[in-house]
Amino acid sequence: MTELSIGQEVELEYGGKATVAGVIGSGGQGTVYLVDYNGMKWALKWYDISKMKDPAAFKNNIKKNISDGAPSNKFLWPRYLTKDMPDGTFGYLMELKPESFDSFVDILNTYRLRVDPLTGRAVKEPVRFTDLKAMVTAVINIANAFRQLHRAGKSYQDLNDGGFFINVDTGAVLVCDCDNIAPDGANFGIGGKPGYMAPEIVRGLAKPDVQTDKYSLAVVLFKLLFRGDPMEGEKVIKDVCLTEAAELKHYGAEAVFVYDPDNTTNRPVRGIHDNVIKFWRMYPDYIKDAFIQSFTAGLTDPNKRIIENEWQKLFVRLRTEIISCTCGRTNFTSMFEKQDSTTYRCPKCGMTFATLEFSNRDYRMPLYIGSKFYECEIDDNSDDFISVAGELVENKLKPGVLGIRNCSERSWNVKMPDGKYYDVLPGKGCPIWQGLEIDFGGVTAKI
Amino acid sequence: MSKKKKDSSPEQAANTQETAQAAADTKPADDFDDMFDFDDDPLGATGVSRKSLVIFFLIDTSGSMKGTKMGELNTVMEELIPEIRKVGEADTEVKIAVLTFSTDVKWMYSEPIAIEEFEWARLSASGVTSMGAAFKELSARMSRNSFLNSPSLSFAPVIFLMTDGYPSDDYKEGLKELSSNSWYKFGLKAALGIGNEANDDMLAEFTGNKDTVVHAYSGNQLAQMIKIVAVTASQIGSKSMTLSDQNDAELSDEDVYAAKQKMLGQQIQELVNQNDSDDVSFDTGW
Repeated sequence: MTELSIGQEVELEYGGKATVAGVIGSGGQGTVYLVDYNGMKWALKWYDISKMKDPAAFKNNIKKNISDGAPSNKFLWPRYLTKDMPDGTFGYLMELKPESFDSFVDILNTYRLRVDPLTGRAVKEPVRFTDLKAMVTAVINIANAFRQLHRAGKSYQDLNDGGFFINVDTGAVLVCDCDNIAPDGANFGIGGKPGYMAPEIVRGLAKPDVQTDKYSLAVVLFKLLFRGDPMEGEKVIKDVCLTEAAELKHYGAEAVFVYDPDNTTNRPVRGIHDNVIKFWRMYPDYIKDAFIQSFTAGLTDPNKRIIENEWQKLFVRLRTEIISCTCGRTNFTSMFEKQDSTTYRCPKCGMTFATLEFSNRDYRMPLYIGSKFYECEIDDNSDDFISVAGELVENKLKPGVLGIRNCSERSWNVKMPDGKYYDVLPGKGCPIWQGLEIDFGGVTAKI
Repeated sequence: MSKKKKDSSPEQAANTQETAQAAADTKPADDFDDMFDFDDDPLGATGVSRKSLVIFFLIDTSGSMKGTKMGELNTVMEELIPEIRKVGEADTEVKIAVLTFSTDVKWMYSEPIAIEEFEWARLSASGVTSMGAAFKELSARMSRNSFLNSPSLSFAPVIFLMTDGYPSDDYKEGLKELSSNSWYKFGLKAALGIGNEANDDMLAEFTGNKDTVVHAYSGNQLAQMIKIVAVTASQIGSKSMTLSDQNDAELSDEDVYAAKQKMLGQQIQELVNQNDSDDVSFDTGW
């Protein structure tokens, strides 16, 4: 492969030159350089074409992706192709990852390595989500990004822990390595990363497509929430050495989910898989059931895999079911006691939480200062899980009185404590009381 | 493997009965009251369990390595460590073990050291070439009870042999012993012959094939070859194999057997052919 040196200029297909300023990293397909182009810093992915089956087809696919544009702003999409070098080597420019994002790999490791350029010594800096809501928002964002991609008729093909950057404060997600994305059904040589590949790819029976993406997506989501490998348990550990044959077995024909209810041979091992053991006890059943479905029935039958929209709905629910207690305890409702059918109780401090019932779902939303619901929760036609529609706040003029502020852009019809109905305009609010009813304009809610 | 994964040290093993009794006394894990007893911070995760990879360097420190060869080797090994650090990432914890052999066989450190903490201790050369003894020592240490004692999964080790001459002891006997070690059998093996005296056929006996044997005749080449082999081997060794290769039939164990070793051979050959350098040979110009 042609390596680039610092200061070297690379011509772009539609004019202009990018100047190499440094190396960002290298991977299986080539190297990523830091470059200057038009007064801005960019990332240049530069290919080792000797490792490609058909560089021309690969390049054409990138060209097509560039002209189609990104499915949403969650993708660090290819922007400009370079001209070919005399030996045929080429690359493309993409935007740089913003500083505020950490790699998925560092999040899984719980630290990032900061290397001193002079001594070469490496220092570990902790990486972790600021709060639970940010982590759940991240999994919603990941599911949503792949939903958008698949709706554009494309598959990612190489879904793995190297493909994401996440803002640990907000849960914002950027999908990178978008160069293997291809129309569903097409494949330009990538197989995927072991551990993330669907079993039928590992076994050599299929090529990556939208259905295998769904399997990889389930692995990524599992890893982020449960911090372990869904297929690595006692059965795999017994082999001690992960030889090629062992991988073929444990990730292919004989893959067994660590919490397969009908097959207990591959349970997580204490001392090695402590994260999975701990978190599996904490998550609510509807989340666990979705993973069980993905990694049991969905293991062999791609049509049984959970679709992105379903994941998105499950995680929106999970986000709604977070309680932040004033005592500092933040957890899912599954980890709070139920005082009665509509009230949760903190097992640590005894604080109780009333809940709001929505007409469009069969679970209740716990109410605590700062709890929020989003556009997609009050409008069945909305996919907007980012814009806050309502928030539980304390009345600024009447301390101690709690209410729901209308953060949406439409007026609500609300039953007030005097028994009469009032319009609550955007920016206004209503007190919470036993008997509260809110009509959002279709969807309704009551205490 | 042992059932009590965490408690593998002898003194803890002695307490097993007591521990089992204590465990029987505690309430079942699913008991609701028990739910709030354990650490239940949903963000309180430790790093995901990583697979471990030990890279073994077997280095000839006999008298003939004195001078430029040892100087180059020390320098390039120091430079190599930061490069290997990048290869493991989230999936793999990479450790380094260095075994030197001259008249005596000696480990640089008493156990494999994590790549983040590894510091190269400069080597010096003297004595004869006890390669057979080195093979025996390696075989003894490549065991679940010794250097390869990670409780989690391991990749097969990378074993990189560097020598500039012919063994002065019975290397065949040592190699025979090593060959019966499963870690060696599944390991990624590569060898570097330095100068004209090194015998590539003998090195191929060690690696199992000629593709993973390279030769350096000059200082520049030595540095290049060490980097090519060590980086490529640790890259391949620290990652799972991409098994699928556009097959239409289901892969079998035979299809994937030694797939990494074959891949290493191919990549080393490709890289070596791109790096033909024409500077002065080690054995001329004295």
